[in-house]
Amino acid sequence: MVAPRVKGLNCPRCGAAIELRSGELAQTVACPSCAAILDAKDPNLRVLQEFTGKMRYQPRIPLGTRGTLKGDQYEVIGFQVRGIRVDDVDYHWSEYLLWNPYKGFRYLTEYDGHWNDVVVVKNTPEEKEGGRQPTVGYLGETFKHFQTATAKTQFVLGEFPWEIRLGDTAETRDFVSPPHMLSEERTADERTWSLGTYVTPQYIWQAFKLPGTPPAPRGVYADQPDANAAGAGSLGKIFRLFAAIIVALFVVRQITARRDLVLRQVYSVASHNPDSTAFVTPVFTLAGRTSNVRLTLETDLENNWAYFSLALINEQTGTAYDMGREVSYYHGYDDGAWSEGSRTDRATIPTVPSGHYYLRVQPELGSDAERPMNFLLTVQRDMPGVAFFVLALGVLAVPPLFATFRHHAFEQMRWRESDYAPLSSDDE
Amino acid sequence: MMRHHLLYSLFGVLLIATLAMAEWRGWSLTRPTEVKNVPRSVRDNPGSYRPAYLYTGSGRYLRGK
Repeated sequence: MVAPRVKGLNCPRCGAAIELRSGELAQTVACPSCAAILDAKDPNLRVLQEFTGKMRYQPRIPLGTRGTLKGDQYEVIGFQVRGIRVDDVDYHWSEYLLWNPYKGFRYLTEYDGHWNDVVVVKNTPEEKEGGRQPTVGYLGETFKHFQTATAKTQFVLGEFPWEIRLGDTAETRDFVSPPHMLSEERTADERTWSLGTYVTPQYIWQAFKLPGTPPAPRGVYADQPDANAAGAGSLGKIFRLFAAIIVALFVVRQITARRDLVLRQVYSVASHNPDSTAFVTPVFTLAGRTSNVRLTLETDLENNWAYFSLALINEQTGTAYDMGREVSYYHGYDDGAWSEGSRTDRATIPTVPSGHYYLRVQPELGSDAERPMNFLLTVQRDMPGVAFFVLALGVLAVPPLFATFRHHAFEQMRWRESDYAPLSSDDE
Repeated sequence: MMRHHLLYSLFGVLLIATLAMAEWRGWSLTRPTEVKNVPRSVRDNPGSYRPAYLYTGSGRYLRGK
């Protein structure tokens, strides 16, 4: 950048040196020493307003600092602090006026460590009708209304191309479409729109070569983009792909499972003494690869229970798979028909190698009814399951659900500061 | 973010491979007690076998000797 012509003057109130960098464009200048607002058009810098405020602010980017934004060099020539009051709470932010003799003016705003690079837009955004939350369109982008407030100027340093005063107010309306924010400022005389783009503090620090590290942003700013938003969406796409594969696997498994029926026998038990009821089934062959075995017990129990000690025993190796199963079924009529339990039970023995097996069965019949029990014992090989498919889908859904939850929480934090704050338990 | 996607994709592939293996080998979420070296005499004398679980009649399952 060609060095701008700097006009050196002195503050008529405190005598401090004042530099005018924007030349003829400067309308007012605030003394960097006493913060009095002076008439930049007046050769003697007539005092327009003395600073009587209680709070003085120090700009994070000193006046006169030059930096490169979007490939162009700008110089910080003005600084102001403005504030709004919402629900009896004061919020303040800083605005830096930047100047390039060829590119014109540009602004930086900072609130709680969040920075925006702001330019005044030439075309008026298109206001859209309808809905509880108004929107505006600009360059094909739709912005949602965020907040309407009255902004008040509270502190000024440096020069400005308009007649600035402490206590100046403007009606502001902010519309957001992260990382952008459209802001309308309306005074009695004019109405201007500006477009802000959220930038990281590190970007500002590098652009102006500021020493140290920038203050960390606090909370979520109105137009702050959620770095994880795209992640949640693409994790969801990957999940849908995996879910489709799992469903396809489930269908293939249902079709290709052998479901070999290796034993189907009806037995009867009348004794209630389990010591006398043990028996073994004929030997059957479990063929093929190592797979599961499903035992199904179908009884004719009536208001009684039965307990089955079952052992699937490999005739050759002597390895047994032991389990106990209880079947009970009760029913009756008590202010309407009722029933509980089931006459049928089934159990799956996993990873059973092929070989010759028999079942040792020891039924114990409950004494709630005297009637003997008949039961059908079925043994099947290589039965498809559902549990692992459901479990896999559930486990796979965790990361995208977590990302979606995190994005939702981010948006909640964003809108909590707006005119459309979600109701909290405190509000209800 | 790309790293997260890569990790998630890898996790998904491994999970589906495990699922396929589980179905192929007939895994289950529960497993009965495995007993080794059951004597051949059980076949002729089923009452001599001591099952791993006995029912006491009170709803409690006791491990057999």
